[in-house]
Amino acid sequence: MQTSNNQALTQLNTQASTQVSDSLLLPQVATATIELIINKALALNNNKLVSFSAINQKTLTLKLAELSFPLSFTVNSTASATGIIVRTHVESSDCTINTSIKTLKKLKAKQSLTLLIKQDELDVNGDIKLAQQFANIAQSLAIDWQSELARHLGDVPTHKLLHFGNKITKSVSAAGKKIEADIGEYLVHEKRLVVTTSQIASFNQQTKDIASQVDSLSERIDKLFSDIAEK
Amino acid sequence: MSSTDQNSQANDLSTSPQAPVDADTSVDNSAESKDTTHFGYKTIEKDDKISMVAGVFHSVAKQYDVMNDLMSFGIHRLWKRFTIDASGVRPGNKVLDLAGGTGDLTAKFSQLVGREGKVVLADINSSMLNVGRDKLRDKGLVQNIEYVQANAEYLPFEENTFDIVTIAFGLRNVTDKDKALRSIYSVLKPGGRLLVLEFSKPEHELLNKAYDFYSFNILPKMGELVAKDGESYQYLAESIRMHPDQETLKAMMENAGFEQTTFKNLTGGVVALHKGYKF
Repeated sequence: MQTSNNQALTQLNTQASTQVSDSLLLPQVATATIELIINKALALNNNKLVSFSAINQKTLTLKLAELSFPLSFTVNSTASATGIIVRTHVESSDCTINTSIKTLKKLKAKQSLTLLIKQDELDVNGDIKLAQQFANIAQSLAIDWQSELARHLGDVPTHKLLHFGNKITKSVSAAGKKIEADIGEYLVHEKRLVVTTSQIASFNQQTKDIASQVDSLSERIDKLFSDIAEK
Repeated sequence: MSSTDQNSQANDLSTSPQAPVDADTSVDNSAESKDTTHFGYKTIEKDDKISMVAGVFHSVAKQYDVMNDLMSFGIHRLWKRFTIDASGVRPGNKVLDLAGGTGDLTAKFSQLVGREGKVVLADINSSMLNVGRDKLRDKGLVQNIEYVQANAEYLPFEENTFDIVTIAFGLRNVTDKDKALRSIYSVLKPGGRLLVLEFSKPEHELLNKAYDFYSFNILPKMGELVAKDGESYQYLAESIRMHPDQETLKAMMENAGFEQTTFKNLTGGVVALHKGYKF
């Protein structure tokens, strides 16, 4: 009973938050921002081999568990320009992916797509090739951030900024590798030597058993001494 | 913030405009008759409305986009994006962007219908149409867009032509809204849909008051400063108040034959998107 009440309450909360976000046009703010970023990245792309012709007018829809609205990406490629239009609602999509941001990160880490589908973390409806083509294009974009930044900041500040950025990245990367190595060492060698919680609990139990045995033995000895003394 | 200078109406009283909310904005709604109509809060001869509204839009056409951004703080882009999302447009569709003005909706529709589809940007006002055409051509959008100067009451298209018709911030300037809705119904294909994006009545009284203050005290001054035309923006504020509210417009659409008619309030009802189907 309580479970069904909780479910109804959760449903009401979700409906209320959806209404608020719709009224404030938050999905439209999100799609406008995402569209702007994607199209800016496409405009800055230097890899001229990237082709959208095969997926022109195709729509990929992403339904993320964390978002109350879907994100649909439609490719519009003409002779003069290519752009992606992002919408929150389409009546038909060539490929729909139901997943979560957490799973998308796993995909980025090259975890097997099939494995994630088997684990019900990813559900693909429609043309899976389209999803792969979108992913391939995203990975093949080549953006010269240095030139782009230099246009706004100037050559010298850009060089210094990127030099500093590279140093930071290297330091962070080195620290990360060190942590990774330490964790590896721990897992391979030290973890086997470390006493586990269950082992400690078992040891405590054994200690208690011995203590009680010693107590009962002590009682028996005392009893024997008293018997001998009486005789 | 419309795009057409179409004409207002002599509707029956089921389509009477909403009452203004405070004394400063009061108006005599009984002014609607067979021969007269509203131009903002003024009562004028019906025949004069087209030319008077035309005057407003010839005057503001060049500054239209800048003023839209300023007046709405850019939110009009989100309202239009919401309309595109709700349209369910697909590749290959034929879309009529009525009172399309400077072509914001047309630009997006053109990209979404692709080469197989077509978008007709229609507006009664030649100045607005010219600004829209120049803007879309500058964006490289040429392949699937047609431009038509047309009155919403007498659409020059065959019956059952379009999958989608949109009219964004234009209906309130149409003289005979019922006639326009019937004309739109006629050119839609069975299964097609009409989307009307238009200013409406705010849901909360406090918002209504703030909105009135903004519309009648700040908007005309902004118009004067930026577009050098305060009167046109005074008309804009007045015409919004004279436009039918959400329920009235929904009933008008149903009277014209539309089915499954719904509306969605945006930004607290400052704007509403009405949607109806032809079956």
